[in-house]
Formats: sequence, structure tokens, C-alpha cells
Amino acid sequence: MSASTHSPVLKHHFDDLGQQHASERLGIWMFLATEVLFFGGIFGAYTVYRLWYPSEFVLASSHLAWKFATINTVFLITSSLTITLGIRAAKLGDRSALLRYLLITAALGTAFMVVKGFEYKADLHERYVPGPMFQAEYAEAVKPIATMTHAQAEAYFAADATKSHPDHEPWARDLALRNHEGSTAAPADPGKIQLFLCFYYIMTGIHGIHIIVGIGCILWLVWEAWRGTIPPENYSTVEVVSLYWHLVDAIWLFLMPLLYLAGIGYGHH
Amino acid sequence: MADPTTPATTNDPHGIRKDVDSPGQLFVVFATVLGLALVNVFLSQSIGPTKFTLPLQLAIGSVQAGLVGYYFMHLRQGDKVVILTALSSLFWMGILFVLFMGDYMTRHLVVSQ
Repeated sequence: MSASTHSPVLKHHFDDLGQQHASERLGIWMFLATEVLFFGGIFGAYTVYRLWYPSEFVLASSHLAWKFATINTVFLITSSLTITLGIRAAKLGDRSALLRYLLITAALGTAFMVVKGFEYKADLHERYVPGPMFQAEYAEAVKPIATMTHAQAEAYFAADATKSHPDHEPWARDLALRNHEGSTAAPADPGKIQLFLCFYYIMTGIHGIHIIVGIGCILWLVWEAWRGTIPPENYSTVEVVSLYWHLVDAIWLFLMPLLYLAGIGYGHH
Repeated sequence: MADPTTPATTNDPHGIRKDVDSPGQLFVVFATVLGLALVNVFLSQSIGPTKFTLPLQLAIGSVQAGLVGYYFMHLRQGDKVVILTALSSLFWMGILFVLFMGDYMTRHLVVSQ
């Protein structure tokens, strides 16, 4: 070990800090490669079904809260900036800036999850959840228009939409009208709509778990930085967590178009 | 990052400060990635769900992810083993996609025979 690289941060099994940092980076990148393949499998399954059932996926996506997702995109991209600024602060030995950037990053991650919570709550309130809730809501929307002409059904749902407390959820009205006899649009299979929703909840749920793990890691970094155990020689600790956080951000950049933007601009009845 | 070939100075014995990110550059990358996200939403809304929308959305997403990887994840610093690892993950994902898409997207041909 050369004298110029001796540091209390150096682990005994490395020759110098350069080797240690390179090993830490390689280790986390190996892990990220497994994450890419993990999400790649899910994206692949989504791709197959999207190609098989394009109209149902567009219709299902059009009822998701893309505005919530856009706000969350802003949160995540901003958090990627702040954690990168945190690495810079760690390298420069600026502990207060490091703490500040880490806390901002954790706060943005938490804000993401809070918005996600509101989004799930709205979905649950609309019974836009695959399974019995979905089926019951859809059946309730189909039942009153079963004996109506298509024009009458349109008028019935238009009147329902103007109520302060509509009897039917927007997605159920839309789906029931589309599948109503006399509709010029191609029918949409409720089962395939629920398939999209399965992807939506699984993909955003797994991503959300990654966000929660990332917040935990960042809070651990806050604790370590507060204790003063992240000197410039140990900046790679911050970098390792940041690489994970950036990957989670990058995955969201694909979830956004696949789930939320797939049906944006779709003309509802 | 500091590596065995990074020159050390008296003030920076481990060569850590040598490649500190420029805040200006980070903010430009941030603004670009954020701008692309908003462009993606705006374009999707304007065009609507056509057959070109998804490829366009994914192309924008890929550029965003590329910027995040290159600048925020420091791939630009050229650690060759790390770049190899990152590219390998994409290569293996490509194999994954080619194999199962080759199966699922040709099944109807087999059935129709």
C-alpha cells in the first residue's frame, strides 16, 4: 500500500482507495444489471400483451391519473439531481451540504410515495382495481343501459356524469358504452382491461417498493453523514446509493409512457 | 472517481476532487431530462394514441435514461468495467426480448398452418 493512499476508510483487503472505490462501483453496477433484467422481464410481459390487446390497454390507461404521474416524474428527476449534488458535496467534504442534499432527496422520494398513495386511493375509490370490485362496478354500469338504444345510453351516462355524486365511475361508463349494442367503436374486453390494471399495480407497486428501499438507504446515509463517517475518501458510499436511486428514476421514465401516457389524448365518450 | 491511475496532489492525496461534477453541467442535464419529460406528456396529449406514439414516447424515455446514465451515473467518466457491465445488462435484456418476442409474436403463424 502506498503512503499517499493510506486512509482509515480503506478496508484491509484492498491495496488502495482507488481499488476500493472501483470495486464498490462494480459491485453496485452488477446488482443494477440484475435489476435491469428483473424489470426487463416485466416490461417484456407488458410488451407482449400491449401488442396483443392495444385498444384495451389504451382505454385502460386513459383512466389513470397521468397528472399525478407527471408530478411524480418531476419529483424523481429533481431527486436525481439532488443526490448527484450530494456526491459532489461528499467529495468536497462539505458535510452540511451533503446532509442538506440527502434530506432533500429523501423528502422528494417521500413526496413521490405520498402522491402515489393519493393515486392509489383515487383508484380504489373509483373501484378501478382488477377483480370483484371492477366486475361489480362494470356490471352496475351495464345493467341500466341493457334495454336502451345507444343514443339513450349516451344520454343516460351524460346525465350521470353531471351529477355531484354520479352513480357510475367514468371508466365504467366509458367501458359500458363502448361495449353497448350499437356502439361504432370496437368492443373492449373487461378482462383485458383488468389485465392492464394488473400490470399497472404490479409495476408501480414493485417500483414503489424500490423507492421505499432507496429512501431507507438515503436516511442511513443521513445518519452516517451526521455522525461524520462520510469523509471525502468515503464518498463512494453516497455514490453507491445514488446509482441505485438513479436506476429507480430511470425505470420510472419508462413506466410513465408505458402506463400513464399510453391512453393520454384518447377520446372518451 | 479516484482510481489507481488518478494523479494525487498535496491537497487531494487520493485524487477525489479531481473529477468533481460541475453544478452548471448537472443543472443543464436536469433541465434537459425534465424538459423531455414534459415534452413527452405534451406530445402524447397532442398526438393521441396512434401507432407512432409508443415508439416516440419510448425514444424520448431512452434519451432521458441515457442522460441520467451518462451524467448522473457517471458513465462518462469511462470506467471500462462499469461501462461493460452496463452494456451487458442491456445486451442480456435484448436477448431476453428477442427470444420471447420471437415466440409470442409468431405463435399465430404456427396455429394458422
